[in-house]
Amino acid sequence: MEDYNKFSAVILGGGIAGITAALELARLGHDVALVEKTPFFGGRAAQLCCKATDACQKCGACLVEGRLTALFQEPRISLYAQTELLESSRTNGFFQLRLKQQPRVINPERCVDCGLCQDECPAAAQGAIITTGVTRNHPRYAVNPAACLFFLDGSCRVCQQICPPTARAIDLDQQEEIIDLEAGAVIVATGYRPADPACRPHYGYGRHPQVISGAELEERLRYGQGLAGSDEEIPRRVAFIQCVGSRDKEHAYCSQVCCAYTLRLARLLKHRQPEAEITTFYMDLQNIGRDAPRFQREALREIKVVRALPGDLRATADGSLRLRYLQEESAAAVEADFDLVVLSVGIGPGPDNAALASLLQAELTPAGFFQAASREQPSQTSRPGLFLAGTASGPRDIAGCITQALATARQASQYVKEL
Amino acid sequence: MSIARDLDIILAHGPELSASGIDYYKLGLWAAGLPKTRILALNPALPREELARRLRAFLYHGPKHRVLLAALEPQRRALNIIRLLLDEIGINPEFLGVLDLQEALGYLDPKTCSLKAETLIRMAAIMLTRAEPIATQELTVPSRVLVYGDSFAAIKSAVDLADQEYSVLLGFPGPTLHPLVPGVALTQALGEELRQLAAQAQAHPAIRLLPQARILAVEGSAGNFQVRLKTPEEVLEEQVGAMILAPELELRPGDAIGAPASHPRVLTQTRLEEILAAPEEAGDLLGTGDAPLQVAFLGPDSHPLALRRALETAKKFLSRDNCQVLLFIRDAKVGAPGLEADLEEAASSGLIVVKLPGLPALSLENDRPRLRFFDPVMHQEESLACDLLVLAEVYGPGAANAGLIGILNLWPSPPGFLQGDNVRNLPVITNRRGIYVAGPARAAMELDQALAEADAAVSEVHQLLGRGRATAPQGRAVIDRGRCVLCLTCQRLCPHGAVSWDNRAIINELACQGCGICASQCPNEAIQIRNFTDDQVAAAMENLDPRLTPKIIAFLCQNSAWEAYLAAVKMHQAVLPPGFTPLRMPCAGKIDIDYLLKAFTHGADAVLVLGCHPDNCRSQQGNAHALFRVERAQVMLEEAGVDPRRLVFRTLAANAPQDFLAAVRHLADLLEGLKAA
Repeated sequence: MEDYNKFSAVILGGGIAGITAALELARLGHDVALVEKTPFFGGRAAQLCCKATDACQKCGACLVEGRLTALFQEPRISLYAQTELLESSRTNGFFQLRLKQQPRVINPERCVDCGLCQDECPAAAQGAIITTGVTRNHPRYAVNPAACLFFLDGSCRVCQQICPPTARAIDLDQQEEIIDLEAGAVIVATGYRPADPACRPHYGYGRHPQVISGAELEERLRYGQGLAGSDEEIPRRVAFIQCVGSRDKEHAYCSQVCCAYTLRLARLLKHRQPEAEITTFYMDLQNIGRDAPRFQREALREIKVVRALPGDLRATADGSLRLRYLQEESAAAVEADFDLVVLSVGIGPGPDNAALASLLQAELTPAGFFQAASREQPSQTSRPGLFLAGTASGPRDIAGCITQALATARQASQYVKEL
Repeated sequence: MSIARDLDIILAHGPELSASGIDYYKLGLWAAGLPKTRILALNPALPREELARRLRAFLYHGPKHRVLLAALEPQRRALNIIRLLLDEIGINPEFLGVLDLQEALGYLDPKTCSLKAETLIRMAAIMLTRAEPIATQELTVPSRVLVYGDSFAAIKSAVDLADQEYSVLLGFPGPTLHPLVPGVALTQALGEELRQLAAQAQAHPAIRLLPQARILAVEGSAGNFQVRLKTPEEVLEEQVGAMILAPELELRPGDAIGAPASHPRVLTQTRLEEILAAPEEAGDLLGTGDAPLQVAFLGPDSHPLALRRALETAKKFLSRDNCQVLLFIRDAKVGAPGLEADLEEAASSGLIVVKLPGLPALSLENDRPRLRFFDPVMHQEESLACDLLVLAEVYGPGAANAGLIGILNLWPSPPGFLQGDNVRNLPVITNRRGIYVAGPARAAMELDQALAEADAAVSEVHQLLGRGRATAPQGRAVIDRGRCVLCLTCQRLCPHGAVSWDNRAIINELACQGCGICASQCPNEAIQIRNFTDDQVAAAMENLDPRLTPKIIAFLCQNSAWEAYLAAVKMHQAVLPPGFTPLRMPCAGKIDIDYLLKAFTHGADAVLVLGCHPDNCRSQQGNAHALFRVERAQVMLEEAGVDPRRLVFRTLAANAPQDFLAAVRHLADLLEGLKAA
C-alpha cells in the first residue's frame, strides 16, 4: 500500500464541523485530509448572514470566517475540493479510501475572477458554473461537470474561449483524478440538506415569487441582493411559517435551528425596517440561545407570533399573499395579507447519506441521518474508527456543531494513537 | 525615515498581474527605488526547486532581513512561496509581510492603480520595518488543575486530565459525588459507562477528592493561580495552572404555580419519581387495582430536558389500564434529539397534550386538586379534577455559582451560569484565561453535550499548560517599567486577568491575548503591543500619499472588520476611495484617542473605526472602549473646529463585507457633501 497518501484521519465534508475537527486534529499534532464534495470550503454555515441588530444575536455564523482563514494556513491539513468517496476498505485497522477528484478546470493561479465565464455560459442557469461568496485561496468560480455542456456531450467550449487571453485560466481537457488515501480514522461531517420548501405545496413555494425559503432569505441578506441594500425596500408585511420539513410524518423530528434563525432574522428585518410588521406562525416556540426567556421576551416585543400553521395561501388582486389560519383566541378562521412569506425550512439528511453509509458500512437512522453509537456517544458509530461530527448525525446549531466536532477530534486522536 | 530598516521585497507575478492592469514591471522599478530595499520579481508558477534556488540567492544573508511578499491574492497564488519562506528559509513569521495588491485594482485611471499599488507597498514596508520578532518561550507551570463541581462533565474532565498525567484536585460542594443525568428520573440507575466513570474518579491515584469544598479566594492568573479552598477539615492553599468549572445543575420549582399547594396529591416531579421507585410506601396515591387514575403533568416546558423527564414518568402511567394522563404545557420544547418522536409516541399511547397560552389555575376540591383553564380547541372553560398533579421542575444553575462569579471575576450570563453569552467564548472559554467551563456550568444541556464540552475543556487546559511546560509568546505586550507609575489602570481594564504587579505592573504572558486595551488606556503610555506600536501607527499616518484623496484612515479590528475588508475587496471586488488607508488593529480596544486626533493633524479627511458588534468582542469590551474613545475624540474635534461627523464608529461582523462597504460609502458621501458645502 505504499502508494497511498497516509493520514491520521480523513474528514469527509468541509463545512463548519469538518473544518473545526480538522483544525483541532492538526492542533493535536495529526496530519489530516479534508475532503469536500463542492469546489468550496465553508459549507452551509458560511452562506448564513450576520443577524446582529444593535448587538450580536449570538447566531454564530461569523465563527466560520476565522476558521476558514486558519484552515488555508494550516500545513498539517491537506485539502481536497470537488472530491468524493468512491470506495472504502479496511486492512489492519486502517481505512483505505479511493476518492475521485473532478477535473480542476479553472486554474486557481491564473484565474482573475473576472466572471466572464459565468456571464457567457449557456448552461449557467443549470448550475454549470458555480460561484461562492467565500474566498480565501481559490477562485470564486468553478465548473460543475454534472451540468457543464462540455462534460455532458462535448458541445460547448464557450468559457474556455471567452476567458481573457492574458489569463487563459480555463482548460476543459483537464481529467478527473483518482486519489488513494490511507487513514487511521474517518470522520463523517457531510452535513445536511435544507428541507425542500415545496414539501408543503399549499404554501405555494415555486408558484409565488414572494414565497421564499429561510435559506434564501439568509442568502439575500448576506449578499445584499435586495433586502440588505438600500436599493430595494424591505417588504412591510412579512410572515414566517415554521416547521416546513420538520415535525411531520416524513420528518419526525424537530430541526432545532428554525425557531432561532426565524426570530433572529425577523428581528434583523425589524431593525433595518422599523415600519415592518412581522408575524411568525408556529406550533411551539423552542428555546433560543442560552438566555432563552430573555430572548423570547425581547423578540415578542417586536414580532407578532401566532400559534397556528396557515391552512392555505393565495395571491390577492393587489399582488400580496393572503394567509388563512385558525385564531387561537377566537377559535375562528381569520385571514391576513403579507408582502413576503418566508418558509422556515428545517434540517434534512444529506443527499448522499445512503450511498455514503453503504460505502462506509455505517447505519442510518429512520430519518436518514448517520446513526450514532448511543445518545451518550454522539461522536462515535457502531464501527470503531468511524466517527461523526456536525449535522451528519442530526440537527444541530453552529455552536453545537463546533462543540461536537471538537469532541470528535479528540476521540479520533485518542483512537488513532492507540491504533 | 519612513522605511526604518533594510527590507527585501518579493513581487510575485503570475499572468494574473498583467491581466489585472497593474504594470508590474513599472511597479518593480518603483519599488527598487525605495530606500534600504532590494527587490526580486518572481513567478510563483516556477518549479519548486527553482523558486527555492532563486529565493536563497536573493536572501543570501539568511533570514535576518524582513521580507515583504507582494502579490495579487498571495494566499492563493503565491502560497508556495510563503511556505518556502517560512518552512525552508526559516523567516520569522513576524518578519514576513504578506501584501495583497487586490485593493489597487479596479480604478478606472491606471495612474491611480499604480499610485495605489505603490502606496500599499510603502505602507506595508513602513509597518514591517518596524516589526519585531515575537519569540516563544517555554514556561514552567504547575501541571496541577482544579476541577470544581460534581457533574459528569467535572468527573470526566478530572479523569481525562489525570489520564494525561495532570495532578487533579476535584472539589465539589456536597459530601459525596452526586452527579445527575439531566432529562432522566433522579431515581434511575446509572448506565454502566457512567458508573465506571464515577468509580474511576474515586479511585484514580492522580485525583485528590475534596468533598464539601468551597473556593474561598483565587489570586494570580493563567498558569499560576493560587486557590484557597475550604474543606470541613482544613483550609488549603493550592497552586494550580488552570481550572475547569462544572458545578451540577440544580432542580428548582418551575413557574407553574406560584407556591405549590401543600397537599399529598400535588407533587413535584422529583417526589413522583421517588414514589414510583418505592411504590409500596406511596399508600393509595398511585391508585389501587384497576380504579381509574387521572394524572396531570403541569408545565414541563422550560427546556427539552424537563419535557424528556416528564415523558419518561408519564410513560409508566400510560402503560397502565384505566389511567388518563394529561400534559399541560405552553410550548412543546421538542428541540432535542429524539424528543419529537418520544412525544408523538406518548400521544399515540394515550397522552393528552393540552397546549395553553398560560397554565391552569389550581384549587383543591373534595381532597382532590382541580385545574381550571380555557380550552382553546373546544373554546370553553374547563375544569378537571385529578388524582395526581405533578409540578414540573426547572434545571437551573448550581447555587454555588453565585459565589464563584464574584471570587473568580467571571462575567455571567445567562443569570447564574458561569460563562458570558458571547459566541467567541464557545464552547468552553470564559473571560478569564485559564478558567474554563463545561456542561452545566454554562447552560442546562443534554449529557452528551456536557461530556463533549468536558473533552473540549481538557483540550484547552492541555493546550495552555502542556503538562507543565507551557509555551507563550515573549514580549507581545511590553511594560516600560521606567514609565509605569503603578496606577493599575491596566490591571482594572485587562479583560483576560493578565495583569498583576510587584512594584510595577507585570503582564502574565501566558494569559495575555495582546488585545491592547491596556496599552491604549495607559495614562503614561507605558505599555506597547509589539507590532501594533504607537510608533508604527504614527509612521503610517505620517506617510499618507497626498495625491490619493479623499484620505480616510480606517482602524480595523482584525477579528471582524479586517476580515470583512478583505472579503469586500476580494469577493465584491470593491473599489474603495483611493485615499482609503486600512490599519489592522488587534482589537478595536487598541484604538487610542491620540490615534484619532493625530490622524486629523496628519491630514485625514475622515477617520473610520470598525469593531465587533456589542457582545461579540473577543476581549469582551474592546468595542465598548473604542466607542467611548471615539465619543471623547468627537467632542475634542468639535472644540478644535473639526466637524465631528468626520469620525465614525461602527460595528460589524467578519461575514458582513456589505456592512464594511456601507460604512465606507457613508463616509465618502459625507465627504462629498462637506466638500460641496
